[in-house]
Amino acid sequence: MPTIEVEGITVEVNEEGFLAHPEAWTEETARLLAKAEEGLDELTAEHWAVVKFIRGYYLEKNLAPMVRKMCQATGFSLMKIYDLFPSGPAKGACKVAGLPKPDGCV
Amino acid sequence: MSGFLKILENEVQIAALSFMAVVYILRLAWIFHFRTRRDRTFAVGRASAGAGYSLLNIAMPRAMESTRKRPGFYAQFVVFHVGVAAAIAGTLIIPYAPGLFDRRPVVLLFQGLIAAAFVVGIVRLVRRLNNPVLRSVSSPDDYFSLVLLIVWFAAAVLAVPNRPENGEGPLIAYFALTAFFLVYVPFSKICHYLYYPFTRYYLGRSLGHRGAFPPAQAGGVRKARGKERA
Amino acid sequence: MKRRKTGPSGVVEAPLDPRTQARAKEEGLASVEAGRLRTYELGDNSRRFLELLGSRVSRPLAVSLTACVHCGLCAESCHYFLARPDDPTMTPVWKADQIRKIFKRHIDWTGRVAPWWVKAGSPRDDEDLNRLKNIVFGTCSACRRCTYNCPMGVDTGLLVRFARGLLTELGVVPEGVFNVSRDQWETGNQMAVSEQDYLETLEWMRDDVRTELGDDSVEIPVDREGCDILYTINPREIKFDPRSIAQAAKIFHLAGASWTMPKWGWDQTNFGLFSGDDKLGAFVARNVYEAAERLRAKRIVISECGHGYRSTRWEGYTWAGFDQKLPTESVVVTLKRYIEEGRIAVDPSKNPDAVTFHDSCNIARSGDLVEEPRDVLRRVCADFREMYPNRRENFCCTGGGGLLSMAEYRPLRLEVGKIKADQLRATGAKLVCTMCHNCIDGLNDVIKHYKLPMRVVQVLELVSNALVLPAKGA
Repeated sequence: MPTIEVEGITVEVNEEGFLAHPEAWTEETARLLAKAEEGLDELTAEHWAVVKFIRGYYLEKNLAPMVRKMCQATGFSLMKIYDLFPSGPAKGACKVAGLPKPDGCV
Repeated sequence: MSGFLKILENEVQIAALSFMAVVYILRLAWIFHFRTRRDRTFAVGRASAGAGYSLLNIAMPRAMESTRKRPGFYAQFVVFHVGVAAAIAGTLIIPYAPGLFDRRPVVLLFQGLIAAAFVVGIVRLVRRLNNPVLRSVSSPDDYFSLVLLIVWFAAAVLAVPNRPENGEGPLIAYFALTAFFLVYVPFSKICHYLYYPFTRYYLGRSLGHRGAFPPAQAGGVRKARGKERA
Repeated sequence: MKRRKTGPSGVVEAPLDPRTQARAKEEGLASVEAGRLRTYELGDNSRRFLELLGSRVSRPLAVSLTACVHCGLCAESCHYFLARPDDPTMTPVWKADQIRKIFKRHIDWTGRVAPWWVKAGSPRDDEDLNRLKNIVFGTCSACRRCTYNCPMGVDTGLLVRFARGLLTELGVVPEGVFNVSRDQWETGNQMAVSEQDYLETLEWMRDDVRTELGDDSVEIPVDREGCDILYTINPREIKFDPRSIAQAAKIFHLAGASWTMPKWGWDQTNFGLFSGDDKLGAFVARNVYEAAERLRAKRIVISECGHGYRSTRWEGYTWAGFDQKLPTESVVVTLKRYIEEGRIAVDPSKNPDAVTFHDSCNIARSGDLVEEPRDVLRRVCADFREMYPNRRENFCCTGGGGLLSMAEYRPLRLEVGKIKADQLRATGAKLVCTMCHNCIDGLNDVIKHYKLPMRVVQVLELVSNALVLPAKGA
């Protein structure tokens, strides 16, 4: 299983950089993933609002939330989500929130 | 000329050719028994123009990146196939129009073309034996067909002067190999020339219909490939 | 438990993962029960493979299978081989031969009588079928660059799709292929977007455009009859990035277009192209064509998507056995028309960054659009530059053939993306524009992996940026 190394800590990810074991996610993991995959040195309160919503949604419904729901819940516009997570909601925010990779050609 | 050679040059060739023709007809029937599907879309270009462009591919080395990047390879192809044509022509000239080979310049021309093809054949055989890509896909038929052609070219070079009185060996070899070759061809890759019109026609029609063949059909000025002129 | 063996690229040994298939069967999904979505079953799959092969070979395929003379010219046209020149299994000729040898063994005469003479052979068991699956799904993006470079006109891209179709029928497919096929069969769209999500997203984008333009008359009509345009999109636009829907709505509004989106049949993408399943291809394409008929639209417009364009504009009509009656065009062609007719005004200085264009395989090589996007880009960008080679000779983004949904093949895909990375880097451009959603992701992967200072954009975004809005009250 491929891994990424951030700050001397190893995180197990799948080939696309998504967390290999979604259930093992912690906030520390989120920070590490954000740094390694999105180039974000730190996560602001706004980042956390998005990540926490996604995580909660996933734990409840076992699905990645549609980006519209993300915007509604956080009050951020789509542009803002892209500003926060350059790779976008699916590849960026969902990845940092420790979700498995969504299906489809994405 | 011995009676044996006479029959070999004549009846045996005709028998082999007839056999090949029959097998070819069966082969064509086999190809036609596979179905095609009608294109139900609006055309952007003309399927017929695409087919024409596609069929002319062997005469247009600049049309494809692969032949543009390897002009030497393309030149070899031309030399080899011209040699094939010359060697086949020889098998018809010798029995039916031998007067042509009484003229020294004609003999020299044929020998030259076929000898050049012989050299290319050797070059290609060496390539096929050494290039890892070709080694990974080449079958016994690939090697055998090439060797057969090479030996046949050698026999042709020696036979084309058409002097049985100086020894019938080359002529016998030439015609015997031709007869074998005619019988073997339909079962080997050598009959790729039978398939060429089909593959190019179907590809050409499909891409022509979509305006992809010929390239300028899509509208707009045809830009030079490679560096674009400003 | 996945176990990887290392081979030349390791890809050939990726195992068949039947877990999601098992779940689909357990859940009794309608498409599985009806036999539309095929699943893997233990049994004599090799024999079934051969039967399918025999019954499905068409004339263009048969001649592509017989005409190859093993000249090797195709090798250097393939980005897989160019990036791994010591690996003959990356060449189109080798890949095609894995299918060809089976055809020769069972259908072609010399191969039936003396298989060893022409290197003919059969798949012996499910392991062999699995290996074939890895070859045709994992080492080829079906970009057809080899087809364009073959002196005989052998269509290796078509052969690969053909082989994929046979394997799909047996359920011997990568997990990603099964999942997306399942979603498209079950829900009519590739990402299992519900109708409610779809409609709500359209409303949301409409509201965004209204706010942006300060104009409450902006609409995204759904199921309106008798419009000029039926607009169809990629589900990705609903699920992950609806900005392109907003951009399209804005442009249609400013151009005064009469347009609508359908409630059902809005997905222009088509996984049947990638899985080789003509039945799925027919189902999805027909949804679009019938929506246009139902709503009496005059023209079908397809948002930017490579395989979606090829499937909906070209292949779908043949798969569905549906004679084309309406003009079916890419939104880029619509944009071009609007600009040329002056229905929208654009200012190229609003896109000052250097832009290059990436021709998508399914649009350029398997389609008809090469100059049209360039005509648009030259009007909306200040600095447009070509990459080399370009147009129909461009290299695949690496994400073609549905590879983006197949995670197990990603490492190889990124490795061979070197060819694309070199091409991009040489342009010196900051933006690379493409008309395909898969290319966006394929190129993004390449950009990230090779650390290129570039961003990927679509034509709609550049046109939207360049719009000169009419003065308020005009």
